[in-house]
Amino acid sequence: MYLDPTTGSLVMQVIAAGAISALAMVGRVREAAKSIFQKAFRGRRWTGRR
Amino acid sequence: MDRPALDSSFRDPSGFVFTRAGVLYRQVNRVFQQEFEAVAASGLYEELTRDGLLVPHRHVALDLAASPDAAAVLQPEPVRFISYPYEWSFGQLKDAALLTLEIQERALAKDLTLRDASAYNVQFEAGRPVFIDTLSFEPRKEGAPWVAYRQFCEHFLVPLALMSRVDMDLASLLRTHLDGVPLELGARLLRGRSWLRPGLLFHVQLHAMAQRRYRDRPPEPGLARRPVSAQTLRGLAQSLRSVVEGLTWDPGGTEWSDYSSDNNYTAEAAGSKRDLVAAMLRGRGACTVWDLGANTGEYSRAALAAAERVVAFDVDPAAVERNYRRVRAEGETAILPLRMDLTNPSPALGWAHRERLSLEQRGPADALLALALVHHLAIGHNLPLDRIASFLARLGRTLVIEFVPKSDSQVQRMLRSRPDIFPRYTREGFEAAFRTSFRIDAMTPVSGSERHMYLMTARSPGRASDVA
Repeated sequence: MYLDPTTGSLVMQVIAAGAISALAMVGRVREAAKSIFQKAFRGRRWTGRR
Repeated sequence: MDRPALDSSFRDPSGFVFTRAGVLYRQVNRVFQQEFEAVAASGLYEELTRDGLLVPHRHVALDLAASPDAAAVLQPEPVRFISYPYEWSFGQLKDAALLTLEIQERALAKDLTLRDASAYNVQFEAGRPVFIDTLSFEPRKEGAPWVAYRQFCEHFLVPLALMSRVDMDLASLLRTHLDGVPLELGARLLRGRSWLRPGLLFHVQLHAMAQRRYRDRPPEPGLARRPVSAQTLRGLAQSLRSVVEGLTWDPGGTEWSDYSSDNNYTAEAAGSKRDLVAAMLRGRGACTVWDLGANTGEYSRAALAAAERVVAFDVDPAAVERNYRRVRAEGETAILPLRMDLTNPSPALGWAHRERLSLEQRGPADALLALALVHHLAIGHNLPLDRIASFLARLGRTLVIEFVPKSDSQVQRMLRSRPDIFPRYTREGFEAAFRTSFRIDAMTPVSGSERHMYLMTARSPGRASDVA
């Protein structure tokens, strides 16, 4: 490594890591919620047809 | 015998570039052998060269090494004209930034990373940006941050943001700050213009604040242990890409940007001039032509009828940008538009005045075009005709130059607001002044105008002395 990465830039990348993890978590929660609602919606339609 | 590295190639201990018998080589030092072999085994070089993103190279015998600590010697394909970021238009710097990010993303996909992100690692060849530093890659260390993040921001993001959001003339900061425009300076100049843009806020303003806060402080133990994942590095590159892509500039409204459509040439005169350019260059065996004051490159393209390639210089950022956009849109490979103020051309810069070459050091060109230029230098900038001749004789061997008389409406416009202190600015005075440095081979009137075109040969190409 011949460049000085500087502590400030390292801090920004740790913050970016946190933000990206948080966004990924939000995405996973969103997908999970979507999946639950889709299952519930499919269940109601199936029940309705009967 | 040891061959010294090129004067611009000394910062990175992993290797350097040198010449031997006029051929360019890159030495890989033993200290970097393991990393170089890992990168070579990854297939990244093949992928990048296949897609035209990296200059191709071939391995040559180790006997050609410049010093005993060589692990390998490479012969890269030479770049035909070396240009520098402070000579690029907005679009050129933006394309160079996007190329660097694309290469970083492709490297990450192979578990490698760019270990530097200097704008000087990019050159323009065949109308496109191309990465030239083969040794900029290394295997990614698990959890390690991108060491070149700050460098990317200072070499690309900050200058682009300043050019796009504040003023195009701030591009000149690249000439005074060869290691990139400092984040803190960029943040101060951008002020509120970046606070509403999340990308600029994060990568410039907050980044500058972090630099300030942690200056000269090692990372805190907790921070140093926190790993930066490959996903974060990909996210960082995508975020930078999104910010760079969002920065735009409209090349209009400058003094020269509409010159090619707003001038006093009749269609006949313009056609005659294009024909004269091609006819005068034909038979001269000119490989490279430098078009000085090229505007958007109309006559650069005419010169291609008799030359292999043209470097099209102009002082106006909008004209250069338009020329570059045309080159990209039409896939032209023989024209390189660059920004250059001939009254203050790029000097030799950097450590010991040797890192970056002056314009003159990159010549002489086989031929120069100086069309509708001499009156701007002589009358607009009070430059004596014999000094103009002397400088041009150092830049090129053959000169195709247009003399614009005082009776021409463009010169009349320049003299409207100032006294005429140019009694020697006549065709006779022009010829006498240029004879000090050139032999006049031909002179032809431009039909449909009062202008004249001259074909000249430098008396001592590249060595004419200044006339006091």
